[in-house]
Amino acid sequence: MKRGLMLWSATLVTYAFLYVPLAVVVLFSFNDSELNASWVGFTTRWYAKLLGDETMLQAAANSLFIALVSSLIATLLGTMAGIAMHRWRPPLLPFLVLTPVAMPEILLGVSLLLFFRQVLDLTLGLFSILLAHITFSIGFVAIIVRARLAGMDESIFEAARDLGATPWKTFVRITFPLIVPGVVAGYLMAFTLSIDDFVITFFVAGVGMSTLPLQIYSMIKVAVTPEVNAVSTLLMALTLTLIAIASRVALTTLKRGT
Amino acid sequence: MPASISRIKGEGMTRWLVTLPPALFLVVFFLIPALIMAVASFREPGEFGGLAPLSRESFGLDAYRFIGDDIIYAWILAKSFLVAALTTVICLLLAYPLALLIARSPKRQRDLFVLLVILPFASNFLIRIYAWMMILGPLNLLYSPTAVIIGMVYVHLPFMILPLYTNLEKHDPTLLEAAQDLGAGAWTRFWRVTWPLSLPGVLSGSALVFIPVLGMFAVPELLGGTGDLLIGNLIKEQFLDNRDWPLGATLSLALTAAVLGVSALTAMYSRRTLR
Amino acid sequence: MTRLLALLLLAAAMFARAEDVLYLYNWNNYISEQTAARFERWCGCTLKQDYYSDNEEMLAKLEAGAAGYDVLVPTGNAVQTLIRKDELRPIEKERLPHFSNLNPAFVGAWYDAENRYAVPYASTVTLLGYNATRLEELGLPTETWALIFEPRYLAKLKGRVTVLNSHRELIGAALRYLGFSIQDTDPGHWRQARDLILRAKPYWAAFSNSTYIKELAIGNIWVAHGYSSDMFRAREDAKAARRPFRIGFSIPKEGAVLAVDNFVIHKSSRRPDLAHRFIDFMLNGENAADVSNLIGAGNPNAAAVPYIRPEIAGERAIFPTSADMPRLEMLRDLEPHQRRLMSRLWTEIKVK
Repeated sequence: MKRGLMLWSATLVTYAFLYVPLAVVVLFSFNDSELNASWVGFTTRWYAKLLGDETMLQAAANSLFIALVSSLIATLLGTMAGIAMHRWRPPLLPFLVLTPVAMPEILLGVSLLLFFRQVLDLTLGLFSILLAHITFSIGFVAIIVRARLAGMDESIFEAARDLGATPWKTFVRITFPLIVPGVVAGYLMAFTLSIDDFVITFFVAGVGMSTLPLQIYSMIKVAVTPEVNAVSTLLMALTLTLIAIASRVALTTLKRGT
Repeated sequence: MPASISRIKGEGMTRWLVTLPPALFLVVFFLIPALIMAVASFREPGEFGGLAPLSRESFGLDAYRFIGDDIIYAWILAKSFLVAALTTVICLLLAYPLALLIARSPKRQRDLFVLLVILPFASNFLIRIYAWMMILGPLNLLYSPTAVIIGMVYVHLPFMILPLYTNLEKHDPTLLEAAQDLGAGAWTRFWRVTWPLSLPGVLSGSALVFIPVLGMFAVPELLGGTGDLLIGNLIKEQFLDNRDWPLGATLSLALTAAVLGVSALTAMYSRRTLR
Repeated sequence: MTRLLALLLLAAAMFARAEDVLYLYNWNNYISEQTAARFERWCGCTLKQDYYSDNEEMLAKLEAGAAGYDVLVPTGNAVQTLIRKDELRPIEKERLPHFSNLNPAFVGAWYDAENRYAVPYASTVTLLGYNATRLEELGLPTETWALIFEPRYLAKLKGRVTVLNSHRELIGAALRYLGFSIQDTDPGHWRQARDLILRAKPYWAAFSNSTYIKELAIGNIWVAHGYSSDMFRAREDAKAARRPFRIGFSIPKEGAVLAVDNFVIHKSSRRPDLAHRFIDFMLNGENAADVSNLIGAGNPNAAAVPYIRPEIAGERAIFPTSADMPRLEMLRDLEPHQRRLMSRLWTEIKVK
């Protein structure tokens, strides 16, 4: 009981650490001051302004779309990589997976831009951003999925095989349910990496194709108005809703599947 | 007999089907571009930025010699490793109890708790750092090494919590019950059962914090004082201030090699201890 | 999966719609929404802007092969770089009837002597902004770099000073204070500048490229090395928030850096016709005044001055007089080996 209490208080400390700056962000999105340095008064005018700001909304929509799609594909590829590394220990895959995580973002951004433009002659745009985001997210997903698999009891897989289950069946019935928490965590990680990325996106974004971090970064040079806080707040609310819907959908499909 | 052969064949097929797509993707979109930059590290900076036209004379070890002959770069690398290590340890201390609590909660609450961890990170990175500036300013902590560490921990905390949680979640509670039946106290149960079993999670979480911290430049730039230059800032400067791509590429490769070296050592060590 | 693909294609189609679009790669907040909308109505086209916050960001991106921008807004030294890299398309002056609106002092600058490529749009001076009320109380001078370099002054300002996180700007200021030119490339003079900076550094709070605006306006920082337009913004913000102090800014008597931003047309432009129409539209005095009224930038357009708010047009640190001009220098690019040496000095400054 005493230990439970300790665990709870330690947890609350961590949650507080996570949420105190967030409270500042949300609170100051209602601040009636362009300078937004200290609290002046309550207003919702920044939200009104935001709703009329087409560039900002378009950038937010782009960011959300890119994050959803790139993290989905990165999760797929990263999960495969994680399983492969655990199961067959291919000699070079860990190097391929870990190095993009280890490489400074700027180098990754410049090298991808050089590659897209001078090797592939690709027109920059949505597609190039998606490819770049998938590239830097795969490693994170793979590492987390492999950590989930590490130390798992191999005998279940063998038993399934001995009972004549095909590899696909073994995967669907046994491996996948076991790694779901890892896959979900990997997806969430890839999502936040993508929606927050500035450096790499800056390089691979094409003309007229902005994302929210690009938009915010260029605004901050002048000053952070509460409008930026407002768009951050809305983005969080939207993410919360999307994840809630997604988990509802996932739950019902899983239930129907079994 | 035939059944087992087809099973082995199936296994071989599966192996390629699972391994090849991510491997190919990373070879094309990571390895080849990275090789372009690896080659760039041996070239010379162009007169107006970028790279000098290729010729025999413009190819050499200049940039490597430049950072090799000067202790200041090794010093910055060492300092950055120290900051990364400190960040990792603090992240671990903050993340472990939380991850443990989530893992031991009922299924329904678990998802909510995980969501609560990730939610702050759906807002914008820079906005969160600016929020920290507003908090640290009145505390007289802004523009200090402490502020840099706080910022680094904040930015990377979920990368520790999530791998830890996914690892802890799969632990078999019967092991702890067995230990309790054998008379082990709470601390003994933790250090003898939970902690050793969670090491793969600790390791991958540490990797996902330690490594990205090394490349980070925005946190020291905004929260740090006049002496808080880290290797990430130095690399950024070469590309976005100084137009010295070869030097930037060389510094990046040196950093990447150091990180991979540390990871390989950790992996070797952990394989030995985990066995 | 098919649905995803369809969605992707749809998105791609949305972004690829071909019509009359002018792509402008610009500094943020350099053209007001109203003026942008006026231009769109006038030319019957769409203006799409992407933003950068530093010339070097824009140059690095172009260097790696980014293309498709029609008009860029580089500073003088970046204009020269782009010209020498053959990245620009010559301007057809006969398509710019308003070109003569420009102030002759800004025509034919060193980076493009005949204005074959560049049309000046805005200017800023790198100077010192300060909490005038506080400095008066402390009895400190305001019009000299000594304020950020001399320990005898800094002792009263410890932890209340920020300087730009840019080696060229900071070392440039130190060089001017030591009596050298900003273009000076003598390594001995550079080392003197480094020593001056290292002596002063313990008194500074941080290197800051943008956060100083707010910090000045709320009173945390008392002296900031930065751009005239930012100082103007800090002054306005402090006034609007009714702070009990006044923000001032002035050009140090030892001299300072002048930056002139220009419209240029990129070689990869697919719509040079729209680009010319845009540039000429922005040369019109009323439209050209926009950037000054919006962010307090200096203006090289003589016809714009009547449209500029008097408190901006009359501010000497924004619109330097001809008496100030000899003290102002524009930054020029360094050779590759000089850049490496400069970066080495800068690293030392940052680490020690």
